[in-house]
Amino acid sequence: MKQTEFIRRLDVSRLTAMLFPLLVLLVFGLVDAAQADVGMGNAQERITPIGEVRLQGQPPVEIAAKPAAIQEQEVELRAAPRPSRADYPDIGVSSRAIVWVLGQMHLFFGALVLAVPLFVLLIELVGVYTRDDRYDDMAHEFMKISLIGFSITAIFGGSLALALFLLYPDLMAYLMHVFGSQWLVYAGLFFFESFFLYVYYYGWNALRYGNLKWVHLTLGLLLNASGLTIMVMANSWATFMMAPSGVNEVGAVVGNIWEVMKGPLWNPINLHRFIANIAFGGAVVGAYAAFKFLSAKDPVKRAHYDWMGYTSNFIAILAFLPLPFAGYWLMAEIYAYSQQMGITAMGGILAWLFIVQAVLIGTILLAGNFYLWSGMSRTDGSERYKGLIKVIALVLVVCFLIWVTPHTLILSASEISLLGGSHHHILGPLGIMPAKNIAVNLMLIATFLSFQLYRRSDKVATVSWAPMGNALMIAVYIGAVVNIIFLGVYYGYFTNTVYKVGSSVAQVVTTLLVIVFGLVIDALMFKKAKVLPSHWGRIPDRAQYALFALPIAFTWLMALMGYVRSSVKTHWHVYTVMKDNSPDNFIPAIGYAGNMITLVTVLFLLCVLFMFWVANLSGSKQRKPETALAGGEA
Amino acid sequence: MEQQNNMGIAGRLAAVVIAIVIMLAFYYGLNHLVMGMQGLPLNLDLTPAG
Repeated sequence: MKQTEFIRRLDVSRLTAMLFPLLVLLVFGLVDAAQADVGMGNAQERITPIGEVRLQGQPPVEIAAKPAAIQEQEVELRAAPRPSRADYPDIGVSSRAIVWVLGQMHLFFGALVLAVPLFVLLIELVGVYTRDDRYDDMAHEFMKISLIGFSITAIFGGSLALALFLLYPDLMAYLMHVFGSQWLVYAGLFFFESFFLYVYYYGWNALRYGNLKWVHLTLGLLLNASGLTIMVMANSWATFMMAPSGVNEVGAVVGNIWEVMKGPLWNPINLHRFIANIAFGGAVVGAYAAFKFLSAKDPVKRAHYDWMGYTSNFIAILAFLPLPFAGYWLMAEIYAYSQQMGITAMGGILAWLFIVQAVLIGTILLAGNFYLWSGMSRTDGSERYKGLIKVIALVLVVCFLIWVTPHTLILSASEISLLGGSHHHILGPLGIMPAKNIAVNLMLIATFLSFQLYRRSDKVATVSWAPMGNALMIAVYIGAVVNIIFLGVYYGYFTNTVYKVGSSVAQVVTTLLVIVFGLVIDALMFKKAKVLPSHWGRIPDRAQYALFALPIAFTWLMALMGYVRSSVKTHWHVYTVMKDNSPDNFIPAIGYAGNMITLVTVLFLLCVLFMFWVANLSGSKQRKPETALAGGEA
Repeated sequence: MEQQNNMGIAGRLAAVVIAIVIMLAFYYGLNHLVMGMQGLPLNLDLTPAG
């Protein structure tokens, strides 16, 4: 009976949507098998060279041997172009500024639309396992917000491509030559992504229950697979320009496409962007929830958007916690690839931007923590932990101040004499990395503690070993704090540089272990806990402003670090192999960059407001004018 | 919470102190492991051995 019902609901269009991925795989598989039958393994063997004929299933038949001169000419490698100033079109406006704005906007929206389906899929899966429709509705609403973002991403992406081909023709010709047919694969992936996106979104209610739900989840998985493949392919272009691979010293291609793609910075960037995108996406949809919460009057709607805001903040902060470690890995790989590049980033003109970065990350952590503390008012059980909030706040503020303490100050002679040297005798030691490593790790641990207290605030453990579990959890925190400070102070100030750098890895592992211990102990300890009532919607309005602060800080931070990442190439289009001879072949001054970063941040936020407005518009319906009715009756 | 109260303050304090000692020993071992894996051996007193 159930089978009949299932078949009845399975009309042709749904069946096609379900089977499409399988059909694609099947077609590729058949093509591959057919090639194998005729003994043609790779692309080079499949394509018959000019001057030769090949019958299916037969070895190539050579018509005539080519002269040696022609053969040599064919294998001659093509070096990277060396454009002169005249080769760059002058349109009266800074080419770099145009590409900067378009590129950054494309990246912002790209990050958003890649991230949202990732956590939407997870939320949907949680909904399936908990059989709670609220998760499903929320996931659907998240998709609704981001849907228009796909179109905006495509608009900025297309504009960026046109601007690049117009303004940097030689660079683009070179990149086209290096990456070859990968560009077409990239374009092809957009068809897949669009297909999966629209079927996933518009098929939400049609594929909502039973086996069809799993079809829907599979579509979501394929959507994410397409999106992530697009991201890592695009990342390979950026990392090729920073640290080229698969080419020789003059930029001639000597390796295959895989060797070109897998440069030394590719995976660090992939990981960093993957995590950062999730945090960024969570922050943006959190702002939507805050906006809806503040504008809603109905308590049911306020409760829904409060819960949505909490989930968004949870996603943003949880993804944010490991982000600094991915950043460390990226910088370590940059140093390993080129010390000069590393020093340009962290020891030269750009070093000050890492202080600005610290301010922004501090803002994110303070806002995220403040939201969690405010959210604890939803449950009466949170009273137990209110005293600890003051300690966490103190740790966050002290660490934040240490993190923003600069090392090298720009001083006049009189200021140096007043200071007693180029570095302040107390604040000087706080300006170097060991102090900042301690501060960052302690801030992350404090944030996780806020999160853990929040999660515990509506529960009372009932297991017999709860006191021992709590004692262990306290010891995990105290031991970790002692270890992080010891590692930072002893190896950072009293041993050589190698041990100083090595100890930062031990600090990171310590912090990550606190998170792992916390999750495992709580999962076991609160398995059959007594749950206290939570009052969704019972949160101060001011907490919502923390949710607005998060995407603003994230956006500004992404633009800032994008400027740093791109600037480390200095006067090279492709580092060490293709020089930039355009009028903008220098690192832009910090003031100018600050204006550009602010411009793109404001532009992005305006576009996000537009997205929210459109998402809101789709749910509203105009009333039929009463005057028309009255007129009709008359 | 009732379980925690049954244990008494002294008992809870003792449990915390013992747990701290265990965790410090754990982090001590962790430091040796992580630094050793990076080719940076340590002496028993955690000073650099390399």
